[in-house]
Amino acid sequence: MAFDPHLIVEYAPLLGEGLWMTLRIVVAAFIVGYALGLIVALVSLLPGRLPRAGVALYGTILRGVPFIIVLFCVYYGLPFAGIRLPAFVVGTLALAIFNSAYYAEIIRAAIVALPRGQFESARAVGMSPAQAMWHIIGPQILRSLVPPSTNMTLTMIKESSVLSSITVGELTYQGLVMQGNTYAPIECFVAVGGIYWGVCAVVSWLSVRLERRVGLAQAAQINRNRLAASFLSFERPRS
Amino acid sequence: MAFQLAYLWSVLPKLVAASLINLQLALLIALIALVAATLLTIVRVMKIRAINMSINLVISLVRGTPLLIQIFICYYVLPSIGLDLSPIQAGVLAISINSTIFIAETMRGSLQTIDPGQIEAATALGLARGPIWHRVILPQLFRQILPMLVNEMTVIVKGTALLSVITVIDVLRTAQQIASASFRPFETLIGAAIVFLFINTVFIVLGSALEHRLAGRGA
Repeated sequence: MAFDPHLIVEYAPLLGEGLWMTLRIVVAAFIVGYALGLIVALVSLLPGRLPRAGVALYGTILRGVPFIIVLFCVYYGLPFAGIRLPAFVVGTLALAIFNSAYYAEIIRAAIVALPRGQFESARAVGMSPAQAMWHIIGPQILRSLVPPSTNMTLTMIKESSVLSSITVGELTYQGLVMQGNTYAPIECFVAVGGIYWGVCAVVSWLSVRLERRVGLAQAAQINRNRLAASFLSFERPRS
Repeated sequence: MAFQLAYLWSVLPKLVAASLINLQLALLIALIALVAATLLTIVRVMKIRAINMSINLVISLVRGTPLLIQIFICYYVLPSIGLDLSPIQAGVLAISINSTIFIAETMRGSLQTIDPGQIEAATALGLARGPIWHRVILPQLFRQILPMLVNEMTVIVKGTALLSVITVIDVLRTAQQIASASFRPFETLIGAAIVFLFINTVFIVLGSALEHRLAGRGA
């Protein structure tokens, strides 16, 4: 069987449609997932044992169950509760819920990692609460959020392919449609796989740039610390 | 329609029986992936340029595409180039490759934390390459990446649920078959979720027990 690039050209509009759907779903699930994750993270920071235990249970359940099963549970669970939504909304919701547990962990870690008393210090030098959040707390949280969020986003792009199993017309689904019409699996999956790979490459490239932007000040700080550390130690600094 | 706990309870035995497939496949895949990742790491350290460049290309391709697509490639594409695989074989191959790559990447990261002085010392003591690997480097490496391996085990278990898409009769497919006859998909799928949650919790508990034991023995 010869590789026929014409097939890919012929089906490019269909695959493009699928890609557009995948991108919209991922962006929407990112926003909803982050919002849910923020709520969960804040709940876990409430005083008392119960909120933490509840959030831990939430995370354990979502991490222990395959995404495809979470997806089907939401898909069949919503009509069960009398709610009927189009498949792509159900898929986006499932993706957001599934990832909210991971986002919550990322956000929680970023907040907990902040040295205590920074907010008070900022207030003590005369900043308003808003100024303290904007100049001191916010940038640090943002910085520690970027790298793990990128990873999660890449995972989410790949996980969104599972939505094809509830007939959401995203990239994988359209690839399967193409495969059903053409009986040319090589062309289909080379094209679909290539598109996913390209999207992931672009997202990681963007995130490296973003990391550099938000991390510039921090990098300077690390260099300074390293200089101080090597000055204080008797070892030769490693180049 | 009300949620019928009794119905959920009645389908659990069937789902648990089906989960043996997921469990067996997951253990097999984990074994293959661990061995393959170790070999891959050893090969990468040899720093043969052409080989490392091709390994890096494969890593990039595997990490940049969904597991589901990799499963489809093993199931649909390999037969058309003359490699006929059963659904189970195709699934095991796909998840093994995926998992190998992720374990190998962790191993590479962990390798960099091993003090080169140890290898110099081992060489000075007259150890050959083989013993340096299996007596000095690998024991430390495995201990270091153990938490990641436990996590990867749960990822593999979850990955086996995707094999239902290529007709492997696993927990999910069994659940779907039951649901299509009884018209109670929600309870059945909650049952499937419970089965997966149970398997993964067992692995996590066993993994952290192992971590504690190793931590007690080492250092």
